Amino acid sequence: MSEYRRRSASIAIAAVLIVIAVVGIYKWAATQRTEKPVNIIVTVKAKGQMIDFWKVLTTGIEDAAREFDANVSIIGPPTEREIDLQIKQLEQAIREKPDAIVMAATDYNRLVPLAKQIKKAGIKLITVDSGINSSDSLSFIATDNIAAGQKAAEQMAKLLPDTDAAQIAIVSFVYGTSSQMEREQGVRQWLEGNTQIKVASTLYSEGLLDKAYELTKELLTANPGIKGIVGLNEPSTVGAGRAIDELGLSGKVKLVGFDSSVDEVKLIEGGVLQATIVQKPYNMGYLSVKTAIEAVRGKKVPKLIDTESVIINKDNMYTEQNQKLLFPFVGE
Amino acid sequence: MELFKFKSIQTNIAAASACLILLTAILLGVISYQLSASSVRETAQDYTAELIRQVNANIQTYITSMENISMLALSNEDVRELVSEAGNDGTSSEELAREQRISAYFHSIIASRRDIASINVIGYNGRFVSDREHVELNPSIRLAEQPWYTSAQEASGRIVVSSSHVQHMFKDEYDWVVSLSRELWSKDQTEPRGVLLVDLNFSVINDTLNNIDLSKRGYIFIVDEDGNIVYHPQQQLIYSNLKSEKIDEVLAKGSGSFMTDEGKTSRIYTIQDTGFGWKIVGVSYVNELIGNKREMQLSMVAAGIFCLIVGLLLAVFVSRNLSRPIKQLQEHMKKVEKGSFNIRVPIGNPREIASLARTFNLMVVKIEELMSQVVREQEIKRKSELTALQAQINPHFLYNTLDSIIWMAEGKKTDEVVLMTSALARLFRSSISRGQELVSIRTEIEHVANYLTIQKIRYKDKLDFHIDIDPDIYMYRTLKVLLQPLLENAIYHGIKNRIGTGTIQVTGGKRDGYIWLEVSDNGVGMEAEALRTILEPRRSDRESKGVGVVNVHERIQLYFGKDYGLTYKSVPDEGTIVTVRIAAIEGDELAGGVGA
Repeated sequence: MSEYRRRSASIAIAAVLIVIAVVGIYKWAATQRTEKPVNIIVTVKAKGQMIDFWKVLTTGIEDAAREFDANVSIIGPPTEREIDLQIKQLEQAIREKPDAIVMAATDYNRLVPLAKQIKKAGIKLITVDSGINSSDSLSFIATDNIAAGQKAAEQMAKLLPDTDAAQIAIVSFVYGTSSQMEREQGVRQWLEGNTQIKVASTLYSEGLLDKAYELTKELLTANPGIKGIVGLNEPSTVGAGRAIDELGLSGKVKLVGFDSSVDEVKLIEGGVLQATIVQKPYNMGYLSVKTAIEAVRGKKVPKLIDTESVIINKDNMYTEQNQKLLFPFVGE
Repeated sequence: MELFKFKSIQTNIAAASACLILLTAILLGVISYQLSASSVRETAQDYTAELIRQVNANIQTYITSMENISMLALSNEDVRELVSEAGNDGTSSEELAREQRISAYFHSIIASRRDIASINVIGYNGRFVSDREHVELNPSIRLAEQPWYTSAQEASGRIVVSSSHVQHMFKDEYDWVVSLSRELWSKDQTEPRGVLLVDLNFSVINDTLNNIDLSKRGYIFIVDEDGNIVYHPQQQLIYSNLKSEKIDEVLAKGSGSFMTDEGKTSRIYTIQDTGFGWKIVGVSYVNELIGNKREMQLSMVAAGIFCLIVGLLLAVFVSRNLSRPIKQLQEHMKKVEKGSFNIRVPIGNPREIASLARTFNLMVVKIEELMSQVVREQEIKRKSELTALQAQINPHFLYNTLDSIIWMAEGKKTDEVVLMTSALARLFRSSISRGQELVSIRTEIEHVANYLTIQKIRYKDKLDFHIDIDPDIYMYRTLKVLLQPLLENAIYHGIKNRIGTGTIQVTGGKRDGYIWLEVSDNGVGMEAEALRTILEPRRSDRESKGVGVVNVHERIQLYFGKDYGLTYKSVPDEGTIVTVRIAAIEGDELAGGVGA
């Protein structure tokens, strides 16, 4: 009897010991896992170019990497038209087996197979700014582009005299990218409820300032009925602005743009550009890395994170908060 | 509590030492962790404070140099002239020359400096002079509406340091600067005449702060007195509410430090007031300060587990060593319990158990002895009882008595026959006593009287007897047929051999807590040699005289102990006195039976 008791007591003690050991080892393993820096590869749409948007986004990425102790390397094609190059770079990236890939897709559809490959390789995929036509991305961190498009349309409607019917044009950028499609969709959606404003045509600048300038100039010369232009990204807006300015139509043809740059600031100060919808690339970059790390560490991440957009015009451009958005202090 | 009620020594020791070790490990771990954590924290805080002091000194240098520049500009005669000219549009050659002189002067001040972006004078008379030779202002802004301009006016002559902002007064320039502005007054200090603006390249401050490596996640930020952020590495996150700083608390506190209570992301703010409105704040994460926290915890846990395992093994080993001899002892005891008294426990270690075993062995030996003694005594008792019984119904005595009765009957001595027969009947009756070993002294004395009566009839004039017993002792108990052998002895060996009448006296009483009975005769007495050996056990019951006496002595000692028994006194030719000493046992005390 006592022999039995003694044996069961020793078994109990042994069990407690084992539990303690297991818990200890588990905790140790857990700490090891969290202590290990996460490896992330980020692909932007245009690397190396002096586009403020991507520079600021990169700053956000780097700050988050520093704060959360992640190893981040940034890749991307020189311009956002080079979809094939981005695909090639991503194929290389998958072979490096990072913990996560953060992708700003140059094409809404063509990068879908690659997303599948990334998922298959056990790499967490997060999309930022421009998404893909697939559910393989764990989280999409971007401006709500439809809402931003609606804001642009709303601004345009406010600028145009509400008495007469007006035609406007949209200067879009690369056909097939999600941000472009959604912004245009937003603009058109909002205008559906407006009987006076009609979208006469959509131009595609391919993200090039000169092309936007030429197309706008052509359009305005050919169709004097155009009273407003919505530029869907920075080069498109600046190109359109230059055309308007050159044709002496500044103030007469209203311009609502996207994003910000010194050129856009000059256009705003010069009265050519009436409003611009500014995104928060810093937040996008920061949140994309933060979300990627959370995903790697097994946390549940939201499918969609809206980084919001702000309407900037001549009156509010120098407020304390907007200065930082318009004039990002990008480290030299 | 039920959990801790271990029954065996081994588990008890193991459990106790496990608890002890665990407790010690935890206690030591917690204490040393706390100590090292707080020392790490203090070091980190000191380090942060030192860094911030350096940053403060750097920034102070920039601000001071801006102040100095503003003083230089103010004391410049041309500048004073420029703003004093009223209603002049500055087109005269003299004025142009002055403007050029001022511009050249400003330019010379900042030529070698990277930190100063520009020096400008804006006169209320509409004159504008900058350190730049050909300056083109941003056509879309009005200088008088700029914050640095209006706040300088409000401060009327005092220096105003702005927060960081984009300076867009020059065409196509959008640089981040910190503006120092002050209002210019006329020579006689009676009226304001213009505003002096010195811009500091914010990048110098930015670079200074970027180069500070507080810690991996730690950072420095600056707020101005209104709570506007002058510098913050993640300013945009703050504007988007993705991050928050305890700006109110920072503003409320002059200098010093405080810790936020944000659980895992608790931060320590170290604040340094610059003296011109800005506050430099170093933020470090508590978690990160104790960077090796996890490692420390881990090594504590590992050490704890190691100690626990070693301790437990040790405890098991020690307790096994301890409990093994105990268990052995226990097994031996069990055998003894079952009746094998020839078992001896081997005496080993440890000392305490060994002495226990030794004592146990002694006890077993004693028990064995006692048991054999009991067996022996029982045997003797049985034998002596048998002998007593034989004495009682001595066939010789019976034969002689019956023979006497026959002779008396033939002699028609009816009375004597009746007396003797009735005495014989009573004699036997009194000795029946329902098989009890002990009888009252009264019964015994009756027995004695009957016996002596019979003997008196037989021996006639040769025997006389007196019985004188203290009546107080009648109720006490004695062994039955105790005195008969003594009387027999007195008659057959004392009186019978005497010439003339012999007298036997039976007396009795109580003295010093015991009962004494005495049988004395005035017979032939005994030689000293016979006297000495009379109470010694005989080798054979057959051996002449005193068989009954020895038996009586032994019976008394068996029942009452060695203190009691017979004592003989005898003088040859004078007589013998035998004294019986027995314990004073009153009737009722018999119930339990003493004889066991």
